[in-house]
Amino acid sequence: MNRFAVALMLAWPLLAASNDTFLLKNVTVHPVTGPDIANGMILVENGRIAEVGPKVAAKGARVVDGKGLHAYPGMIDSATQVGLAEISSVRETVDTNELGDFNPQLRALVAVNPESEHLPVVRANGITTVMTLPFQAGGGGMRGGASTTLIAGQGALIHLDGWTWEDLEVRRGAAMQLVFPSLETRSFRMESMSMARTPFAEVKAAYEKRLKDLTEFFEEARRYQQAKKGGAPGFQPDLKFEAMLPVLEGKMPVMVLAARERAIRDAIQFADKQKIRIVIAGAREYGKTLADLKAKGIPVVASPTLELPLNEDDPYDSAYTVPAELYKAGVKFAFATFNVQFARNLPYQAATAVAFGLPYQEALKALTVNPAEIWGVSDQIGSIDKGKWADLMLTDGDPLEARTQIKALYIKGKQVELTNRHTKLFEKYMNRP
Amino acid sequence: MSKLIRFALLYAGIAAAAPPSGVAIRNARIVTVAGPTIEKGVVIVRGGLIEQVGADLSIPADVWTIDGQGLTVYPGLIDALSTIGLPDAAPAAAPAGRAGAGRPTAIAPATGAPGAAATPPARGPEDRPSTTSWQNAADLAQPTDRRIETFRNGGFTSVGAFPMRGIFAGQGALLNLAGDKAGQMVIASPLGQYITLASSGFSGGFPGSLMGAIAYIRQVYIDADQYKAAKALYAKNPRGLTRPDYDRALEGVLESPRALLPASRAVEIARMIRFGEELKQPFILYGLNEGYRSADLLKQAGAPVLVSLKWPEKTRDGDPEEVETLRALETRASAPGTPAALARAGVMFAFYTDGVATPRDVMKAVRKAIDAGLTQDDAVRAMTLSAAKIYGLEDRLGSVEKGKIANLVVTKGDLFQDKTEVKYVFVDGQKFEPAEETPAPPSRQRETQ
Repeated sequence: MNRFAVALMLAWPLLAASNDTFLLKNVTVHPVTGPDIANGMILVENGRIAEVGPKVAAKGARVVDGKGLHAYPGMIDSATQVGLAEISSVRETVDTNELGDFNPQLRALVAVNPESEHLPVVRANGITTVMTLPFQAGGGGMRGGASTTLIAGQGALIHLDGWTWEDLEVRRGAAMQLVFPSLETRSFRMESMSMARTPFAEVKAAYEKRLKDLTEFFEEARRYQQAKKGGAPGFQPDLKFEAMLPVLEGKMPVMVLAARERAIRDAIQFADKQKIRIVIAGAREYGKTLADLKAKGIPVVASPTLELPLNEDDPYDSAYTVPAELYKAGVKFAFATFNVQFARNLPYQAATAVAFGLPYQEALKALTVNPAEIWGVSDQIGSIDKGKWADLMLTDGDPLEARTQIKALYIKGKQVELTNRHTKLFEKYMNRP
Repeated sequence: MSKLIRFALLYAGIAAAAPPSGVAIRNARIVTVAGPTIEKGVVIVRGGLIEQVGADLSIPADVWTIDGQGLTVYPGLIDALSTIGLPDAAPAAAPAGRAGAGRPTAIAPATGAPGAAATPPARGPEDRPSTTSWQNAADLAQPTDRRIETFRNGGFTSVGAFPMRGIFAGQGALLNLAGDKAGQMVIASPLGQYITLASSGFSGGFPGSLMGAIAYIRQVYIDADQYKAAKALYAKNPRGLTRPDYDRALEGVLESPRALLPASRAVEIARMIRFGEELKQPFILYGLNEGYRSADLLKQAGAPVLVSLKWPEKTRDGDPEEVETLRALETRASAPGTPAALARAGVMFAFYTDGVATPRDVMKAVRKAIDAGLTQDDAVRAMTLSAAKIYGLEDRLGSVEKGKIANLVVTKGDLFQDKTEVKYVFVDGQKFEPAEETPAPPSRQRETQ
């Protein structure tokens, strides 16, 4: 980078290109992967972290004094529809939930709207990366959530700043989203506005049929893989099966939405049989599957903690304690909001878990380095370590604390605006004559 | 010949057609319900009525005599709330205390003239949605209903039959479970207005919610009040007055001497007591699953209640992995204690079968209540005299007393014992002998499995 460019950036820091270079000093560094560094320094070169430590040479870079501030890696929300859904009740602004059982070829990344009002809102709270998913959660065995989709498409890991979806990309096809079939005898009937019961035998048969459909689709995909490899005569490319190849090769994990113990159990079995990598997402009841998850090294995207109990007789804190249970069982997990605009509350999901038994440091990991590892991007993001993208938040305190202010946010080394629709409306009405 | 004499002759002719003019049961144990039980006595039945009851009675020469040695005579059993004897009756819907409690209740079209196009969804109370308050079970009665014989063979001689579809479903009638013509079955009519809280869901128009249903019922009673006053004023001096529109929905409500309101859970019971008092109408609550929690409140309110004998049960075909709620478990364990609790508190209550399919299952349900603390006497009373009293018919039904309608059940063994045999049933003095029960053939499926 030449001197002229640096001078330009000093004058108009907000217009800086993404590949910024600067030295952050006088901050308490919380790398998450290692011990905190009081009065530490972070050297950012071309958007990446070049050096971290108590003393780092500036090498001529611009110096930013962060006196009294804390530097944390940007947080990662492992399940959202950010960028895909704008106003849930306006159909035209919602680009999720395609029809059909099998849509592995759908890529959330290309549908992301970088101009979404939700991006600045969510990142203002220190969230720099989200997994955005083609299917709105709620199925997978949640009560009344019998969904019509099995394989919903490919979720994308995106940064919350950029001009185009290409800018946003951290990892396209970070996970294949699978809505595991649900088995519920109770369902809500619109006509009578009441919960109705279906005999167990009937739902079970339907459930098994769905599982069979799913298995058959995987087998077909596998035949396609063989045919392609063998150069079979008359081989025809098919986008659906093509999209399944990374899954079958174990390169892309399958994110399985499953709410209850039975679905998790069956999903684990399914993964064993199909020899695929899975991540269990959104579960509320693990029951006896925790040991299995641990033994097989299956990671988990924890369900939101700020929820009511699932069953009538559950303890009031049953949603709050799930992350602590996962931790105690030795299961690797990440936090997620399963939401769009309320993705900004991600740190408070973690805070509640800490209040209900999860060690603080584990909560921080589950917001940063754990999701980076689960989605295969731990060389890129998730901690303040040399070589990673400079996704940093500068705070005046503990980010899990609701009163803490985010003073500055960097995505790929570029300082991003913290103003957003909320702050604009705040200004507008505060200044109302 | 004067009309009167012809009338008398006509009836004499009928009487003469039935040779010996009565039946006497002697040496039987007689549970009169109204008074003390007679350990060895005689009941004489003649002309459809109980002519005499007593320990030492001389038996007239012109009656059949039945030796009642080892038998017990009870008043005929009354199912206080039923659809038996009514055509196309859906199985009695569980009182839809709230949307979603029972099965979805089909809504009878409110103003569906035959051949008329489908009525548009109701928009408010003025459209009188889900209302057939003018329907009367006495007009609907059908002697061909097969359940009549099934229940009569089990000792039931009468039912409080009600239309049960809709919010204002219609008026009930007390029907005897015998007779070739519908008219012979009717003892009294109308008994009251059967009210449910059926809401139509999202698609069916007003009311689509519980609050809408309650507001609707309230409005109808206010309208009925107004209507009654307007009609009276007009009848007094029609000249110079605009005549009030005829409203059959309100006519039906005004004809009904009492309202039957659904209340199963404790909150519903409390709510319906307040609501019933507001209606300024005598009212009866039906359902009462959680009556065991509300006995004192009911006593204080003084409203009689009809207790469903369909005790909550574990859902068949349920999900084996589903954990039942504490509330469901508690209600299931405690509901059969409701009758005992009501009896202790001194609440007037009667039983109704609520769609329990066979008399055998009904008796099993009563035994559950007895096991939960109800005395045998109170159980009999709840199925006989109390039911009659609740409908104001204790002058003709409900006990073995001189002058009452000869509805009797004669059993070998105590009424509620498993092995009790119903030997004879008398309905309006007509004797029925239930066929010997043959044990059900073993299920084939089970043999082959």
